Amino acid sequence: MDGSILAMDLGLVATVGGAAALDRRGAFQLMVSQPLVVVPALGVVLGDPQTGLWLGSLLQLLWMSSVLHGANVPPNETVASVAIGAMVLLFGKYVGAPDATVWTLAILIGAPLSLVGRWLEVRLDRANQVLADRADEAARAGEPAALDRLPWLGLGRAFVLNALLVVVAAALGLGLLAVVYDDVRGAFAVALQTVGRYLMPALGLAVALSIVRRRRGIALAAVSFAVVMTAILQGRG
Amino acid sequence: MATTAPLDADAGAAARTVGYFALWRVLWRSFFFQSATNYERMQNVGFAYCMLPALTRLYRGDALQAAMTRHLEFFNSHPYMADALLGASIKLEEQIAAGRLPPAAVQRFKRCMMGPMAAIGDSFFWSSLKPFGAAWAIAGVLSGIAWAPLAFLVLYNMFHLSMRVYGLFAGYQYGERVVEQLNRFELPRFSDRSHYLAGAFLGIGAALLADDAMRSTAAIGDGLEPVLMVLLAVIFLLCLKRKMPMLLLLYGFAAACVGLVCGLNALFPLIG
Repeated sequence: MDGSILAMDLGLVATVGGAAALDRRGAFQLMVSQPLVVVPALGVVLGDPQTGLWLGSLLQLLWMSSVLHGANVPPNETVASVAIGAMVLLFGKYVGAPDATVWTLAILIGAPLSLVGRWLEVRLDRANQVLADRADEAARAGEPAALDRLPWLGLGRAFVLNALLVVVAAALGLGLLAVVYDDVRGAFAVALQTVGRYLMPALGLAVALSIVRRRRGIALAAVSFAVVMTAILQGRG
Repeated sequence: MATTAPLDADAGAAARTVGYFALWRVLWRSFFFQSATNYERMQNVGFAYCMLPALTRLYRGDALQAAMTRHLEFFNSHPYMADALLGASIKLEEQIAAGRLPPAAVQRFKRCMMGPMAAIGDSFFWSSLKPFGAAWAIAGVLSGIAWAPLAFLVLYNMFHLSMRVYGLFAGYQYGERVVEQLNRFELPRFSDRSHYLAGAFLGIGAALLADDAMRSTAAIGDGLEPVLMVLLAVIFLLCLKRKMPMLLLLYGFAAACVGLVCGLNALFPLIG
């Protein structure tokens, strides 16, 4: 493992994580921060877009209900997804082929980061109170230039802290993944593959279906599942 | 809204309009609308920051101070719909600067409209367009369309950017009547339909995931994979409807699965 290249890759992960975290809430909100987009993008950056596509889809399903309604701060799916994606993709690049066991373990290791990300977001909102007070001072002094700077301070702080969170989590997670993976064999490996191939996709589908507000939407899901499944099974003869 | 006699309008700025260049600057700044969100007054810094190019065109000195201060009060709305409120607020500020409205008019307008606009934006963008686009793109990726995430971005941002640009300029053109203009698009009706489509695409995604499981090393055989997938999804859906957190279900069921497989293998050794 080349240390300098790994350090460069971690730098890229930090940049993608920080930028995606800004897109999620503070700037643009173009949905680049959605797992479905950011994980394949990370895959392109780290040289394995195919794994990124599959993993991004699964993570998108798992966090489909994470929506920023009003003042509500939901679990931060972006930092969790970038960290999980980085663990799997870096494992593939430096350790070995990322099979179902690898991404199942990575998701199990990285999923709680969505709660850590939410905690960080709440802390940042509290810290932004200082910016609001400084905006009041700028208004009282009639200095628009002073007010102009404040959003950039908020964005800069959010970028740095989210980038740090993602890169530290990805590096620690990768280490843990490499250690644990060596000990996974036999029935434990089969159990993890079952979790990754059945349990996680089914949970993701349930999360996504739980936000479909119309009963007819659920019925349509059942019908389209039956039609496509029949076609697949018939195609196999 | 009743008009009142001119109050303390800056005489030098009385006949000014902000001009299109300033409006484009406001549009650019609106992309950073939530950059300094805080718990006490939510998006107030973002709103004032976006309004600055217009306010500095309309006011000088004390009048500018007062204008900045009135846009630093509590504000919380949907970030995309806020552009319409920014446009309308600029229109109102022009009238305030000309002395045709009292300064409180723009504050009253913002207070009245931020809630309804947030509801429209949350319902249309967050709860409908995003799940629909994502469900479509996931079905696309699983069926081998590698550019599906890119198509999701294009589809989503077509609506997103249109709403921002149209909202700002329509807000500026129609002022307080901007809501009537936005109502013409019947966004709630689209929201309803997008839920049906999202359901249909999720069904396709489920079938493709079951197919993926059938091809994997974790295949059970005898075509039982789709049955297991549906069974698990229904159990999870029922648990989620009872407000169980996703992470609890993930770890709880993963631990149960590992325990079951390892326990059974200890009793009836089949796996080496």
